[in-house]
Amino acid sequence: MIGPLRRWRVMRPQQRKSSYDVVIVGGGVHGLAIAYELARRGVRDVAVLEKQYIGAGGSGRNTAIIRSNYRTPEGVAFYDESVRIYEGLAVELGFNVLFSQHGHLTLAHTDAAVAGLRVRAEVNQLQGVDSVVIDRDEIRKIAPALDLSDHPRYPIHAALFHPPGGIIRHDAVVWGYARRAQEMGVHIHQGVEVTAIDLADGRIAGVQTTDGPIRAGTVVNATAGWASTIAAMAGVRLPIVTHPLQALVTEPLKPFLDPVLVSATLHVYVSQTDRGELVIGAEIDPYASYSHRSTLAFMETSAAHVLELLPSVAGVRVLRQWAGICDMTPDFSPIIGPVPDVPGFILDVGWGTYGFKAGPVAGRRVAELIATGTTPPVLAPFSIERFATGSLIGEKAAAAVSH
Amino acid sequence: MADRRLSDPAGDELRRAESIDFRFDGRPHTGVGGDTIASALVADGLDILSRSFKYHRPRGVLCAAGRCPNCLVQVNGEPNVRACVTPVVPAMVVRSQNAWPSLGLDLLSLTDRFDRFFPIGFYYKTFIRPRRFWPLYEAVLRRIAGLGRVDITARPDLHPRKRHLHADVAVVGGGPAGCLAALEAAGAGARVVLVDDGTRLGGHLRMRSREVTGDARLAGLPGVDAARRLAALVAAEPRIEHLAGATAIGIYDDGLVGITQGSTFVRLRAGRIVLAAGAAERPALFHANDRPGIMLASGILRLIHLHGVRPGRRAIVVTDDDHGWRQATELIAAGIEVAAIVDTRSVVPEIAEAATVRAAGSEMLPGATVLAAQGRSRVTGLRIRGGDGVERVIAADLVAMATRPEPVVTLAAQAGLSLAFEERLAEWIPVAGSADVVVTGHMTGLTDDELIAAGAVLSGRLAAGRDGAGAAHAHHAEQVAAAFAVLPDPAPTVLPAGRKPFVCLCEDVTAKELVQGVAEGFDSLETLKRYSTVTMGPCQGKQCHGNAARVTAAIRGVSRTTTGLTTYRPPFQPVPLAVIAGPHLHPVRRTALHDRHEAAGATWMDMGDWKRPLHYGDIEAECRAVHERVGLIDVSTLGKLDVRGRDAGEFLDWLHPNRFSDLKVGRIRYRAMTDDAGIILDDGTVARLGDDRYFVTTGTGSLDAVDGWLRWWLAASDRRVDVTNVTARFAAMNLAGPRARDVLAGLTDVDVSPDGLRYLDAREGLVAGVPAVILRIGFVGELAYELHAPADQAVHLWDALITAGAGVGIRPFGVEAQRILRLEKQHAIVGQDTDALSDPRGASMGWLVKADRPDFIGRDALAALAERGPRDVLTGFEMIGTAVPAEGAAVVRDGRPIGRVTSSKWSTTLGKAIGLAWLPAEDVVEDGQITVRLGTGREGSTALAVVRTAPFYDPEGTRVRS
Repeated sequence: MIGPLRRWRVMRPQQRKSSYDVVIVGGGVHGLAIAYELARRGVRDVAVLEKQYIGAGGSGRNTAIIRSNYRTPEGVAFYDESVRIYEGLAVELGFNVLFSQHGHLTLAHTDAAVAGLRVRAEVNQLQGVDSVVIDRDEIRKIAPALDLSDHPRYPIHAALFHPPGGIIRHDAVVWGYARRAQEMGVHIHQGVEVTAIDLADGRIAGVQTTDGPIRAGTVVNATAGWASTIAAMAGVRLPIVTHPLQALVTEPLKPFLDPVLVSATLHVYVSQTDRGELVIGAEIDPYASYSHRSTLAFMETSAAHVLELLPSVAGVRVLRQWAGICDMTPDFSPIIGPVPDVPGFILDVGWGTYGFKAGPVAGRRVAELIATGTTPPVLAPFSIERFATGSLIGEKAAAAVSH
Repeated sequence: MADRRLSDPAGDELRRAESIDFRFDGRPHTGVGGDTIASALVADGLDILSRSFKYHRPRGVLCAAGRCPNCLVQVNGEPNVRACVTPVVPAMVVRSQNAWPSLGLDLLSLTDRFDRFFPIGFYYKTFIRPRRFWPLYEAVLRRIAGLGRVDITARPDLHPRKRHLHADVAVVGGGPAGCLAALEAAGAGARVVLVDDGTRLGGHLRMRSREVTGDARLAGLPGVDAARRLAALVAAEPRIEHLAGATAIGIYDDGLVGITQGSTFVRLRAGRIVLAAGAAERPALFHANDRPGIMLASGILRLIHLHGVRPGRRAIVVTDDDHGWRQATELIAAGIEVAAIVDTRSVVPEIAEAATVRAAGSEMLPGATVLAAQGRSRVTGLRIRGGDGVERVIAADLVAMATRPEPVVTLAAQAGLSLAFEERLAEWIPVAGSADVVVTGHMTGLTDDELIAAGAVLSGRLAAGRDGAGAAHAHHAEQVAAAFAVLPDPAPTVLPAGRKPFVCLCEDVTAKELVQGVAEGFDSLETLKRYSTVTMGPCQGKQCHGNAARVTAAIRGVSRTTTGLTTYRPPFQPVPLAVIAGPHLHPVRRTALHDRHEAAGATWMDMGDWKRPLHYGDIEAECRAVHERVGLIDVSTLGKLDVRGRDAGEFLDWLHPNRFSDLKVGRIRYRAMTDDAGIILDDGTVARLGDDRYFVTTGTGSLDAVDGWLRWWLAASDRRVDVTNVTARFAAMNLAGPRARDVLAGLTDVDVSPDGLRYLDAREGLVAGVPAVILRIGFVGELAYELHAPADQAVHLWDALITAGAGVGIRPFGVEAQRILRLEKQHAIVGQDTDALSDPRGASMGWLVKADRPDFIGRDALAALAERGPRDVLTGFEMIGTAVPAEGAAVVRDGRPIGRVTSSKWSTTLGKAIGLAWLPAEDVVEDGQITVRLGTGREGSTALAVVRTAPFYDPEGTRVRS
């Protein structure tokens, strides 16, 4: 049948069981990707518990930027695998996730920022990731709408250009994973909130939920902004502080901006979706909070900063602003893997402002970890033990506003 | 078609003597003063103002209130302007959007014929294989996406302004309820700001001829006169500031209201907020309900009453509520022939308006259903099924949709009020919470004049904090509940028939598509919204949110409370980025010596907000002067903090890994501040100028962070410390070089002899007659004095030093020379040579950490780091050969990055390329060879370098101490 005429059922209600081999807390891209990958490996007695609806949290609130131009070898390897999975995801899931690879430009407005970009370009290039520092003339060819004159307060000196980077339809990723996971037998229960985690002899035994108790030998924490509250239910204290992160979107316009633009100096990033809207984000709010309230200050400063980059959009209207919450770690890198003190408790948290990019690779590798019982090498640097040994990952410098 | 223009008294806003010529899609048009773009075009006979987003269907004016997507146009290059609320001005160039080649003939409207290939979510199901074709498909999608067009070469200036207002009470909405509440609050002594998006006050009364009942000030007046009376009363009340043509776009925490008023953005802080945002009709759902000529009844009345334009002659009124009958009488009063009134309810209501309608000869069709609109580019009639089951067509050139008005609850929800479903109204109503946010008027679900007026007065009293207002208001709420209880059953929501009943006009989503979305598993409104994009278009859900919720409940056969609503997000109305951003205020900071540098031929660089001289034309000569004679550099941009008080020393001890409470008065100590993870935040110096008085310098870019960090810690402590940022108060300059002492000695009464002012001594005294703090410190490896002096006397001091040094060949030097000189000493720059993972040990500043003392920030982390030893270490290196690697270049081994160059320069003094780099600790061995990348790409060229752990220049530091 011709594609668009095909009827499908993306989500179907399922009868909840009293016990599963694996319970995944959190129905975002991470939880659903883990579930899907577990099912692919034959582990199908799996339930995803989502307190609202799938994709309600960070997965539906992020600015959907995909890239792998990170700063550390660990980060580059990890996100490069994610980009590769994303590139094949539409075919793999049979669900077009609208991955728009028009490139990613990180702008430098100072000498120091240029040097910072060069550090990233070097690490990227040495690992085979397409990423290069380019000058104004080359930037102009890729993003002619940018103000590349000396007129702005902080003129653009150079940019890190990362051609494979781009944006994706985040909800489609969530739905695509959910649909395939359910088809393979995974249960997804929406509107079910975990209220406690049961331990027996120090091991994970199951969870208590607003829909009753569920037994499980393995519980995965994939709850992003709420990660520390879920971990606390298992008696695990995480080095995580949750901060709000805000974004806004404008009315749709005929596309004029292909690449993603990021400016750390101006604390802003902007992209134009395939629908024509400009999606604009900034750095996390400076205060710790679980609040999803939007602020006027965010809208004012983001608008001002975008106009520094794109003065021609002065009359373009803001349509909507919203907020999400981010689980920030001290080194701006995730915490993935088992918790040594609580067997059966698996973490996929600390995703801060960069979780969506990593959903596919985290799903694949965490599923591998659960299915095989051994930690894949690509996850090893992200263990929770690094905070005890002091082996922190160096992504902070590159991740702060580098969407 | 001049017969569309009505004569007085219609057209309250018109200045008929004023003729305005403008162009629309290249053709000349003429309006009059007070016209909007849309009213002028409709008066000129146009029906189609835009083409829809997906199917490119013709669309005309619907709401005439700026709350739908139907009249979005491009005005003088600005996209998505709402033509129905934008005044037309002479020579305006207006263009239609999203139509090719023209509004009348849009080839992409073919999609409308093949709509079954474009159901909701079609793009998720298509263009998947083969993968390599996706970029081609995407290019096509991008070509047809979007509405307005941005001219990327334009630099539009909207002349934005910002105002900051404060009020005891903010009232949002200038209809009868808002005005009465504002008058009452002001009468009780409150300062009131009244925000209303109309050009004049009165709200819906301005479009109403029926007499007003209730409040004695208005009773008996026709609506239009009551509106004028209200406006006059408000104008006479000095405690009310009325913001006309102003829209509250968001209610944020702590009484902050964001308001747009033209190109002015108002930030209003209000003690309390009264919301009187009214209620709004929504489109009725039937096949082709989007045809031009099918309008909200209120939209028709707005065109008539405000702009004197009659958009049609013969109307059919479609309703499900008594409201429709009232609107029918208004249309009749305005001279429109009402051919029929179609009411989904089965009986004609027993209200006075029904008699008026009957008397006018209109056909009354209770229990009837609208099946479809007739006509293509303009409605020509409706196909209906009567209460008797017989289908027929009624001819009309206008359809007035007059469904029960929905409370406009957006701002109430944003303000944090919860919404409750009122079964008797079948509407969501804000639940009154505290007195901080009070809701009143139509948005409470009321339609009765008397109850509305009484409630508004009580709301004003409550917001003004009058005694007893709470109890009276609560009693009123009981009366309202009693009034709701006796209402007849609301019309049930049924699924509309036909192929294209549009729920969402912005995104072209039909009820049928929502049925499909639910069937595909998107059965909650939140997920259905994301899948179908309903409510996500330019109208922000104003026309479709309620209908989408109703239809979803009907599809699933569940109650409206089960499907609920989606989150209401700001802004209430779309706001141009430039208006939100406000005036372009990005100050440039210049030091007190800026003009001197300019005169000396400085090349400028940005450093944070500051401008600094990078060099004065000859960097080599500048370096040479410092090494051989004396140089002078402006270091005014250093952050300067005056930290004083009984606990100042102890406070600085707590903030740093080293100690300052034991620093002797008149001495200086280097400082590097760490966070609780042991990461270096900033560095600088601390000079103790008195027992309780410290002078602290910070990096140029880190001042704000450090200042904030100090205040953060003080806020939660009972330490007696005052921190004053004196950065702008003092200019600073560094006199450096072997002859520096000779220059300074002749200008000051301070003993600057080697024993009188030793290395790391601090003194206060006069220099060239200027009171200054003299710090004997330097960054560039030579004898140096850092002079801090009042900024307003800095030029005199600079000139005096330059004059005094003329004999020994003094030269001003810039940042570039300073960077080379400090690199010769291997002095790291925090932020350039360190990053967010650098601890003092790794940065080769381990000597700084004095861990054997009471708690301080970062102690535990630094202790753990000390135990483990650093993984990477910052070290010096010199190149073998003359190539200078780029700052940021990788240090590689076997093609893998093991480190990075953070600083690199050519030093003429040394005759070699030198730098600083982070390397694995085991590689930091004197004379050890490393490989540094020079080129780019995976196979970039490399060069060898040698590790140097000691300063290249004067490693013993004898010169700086001389």
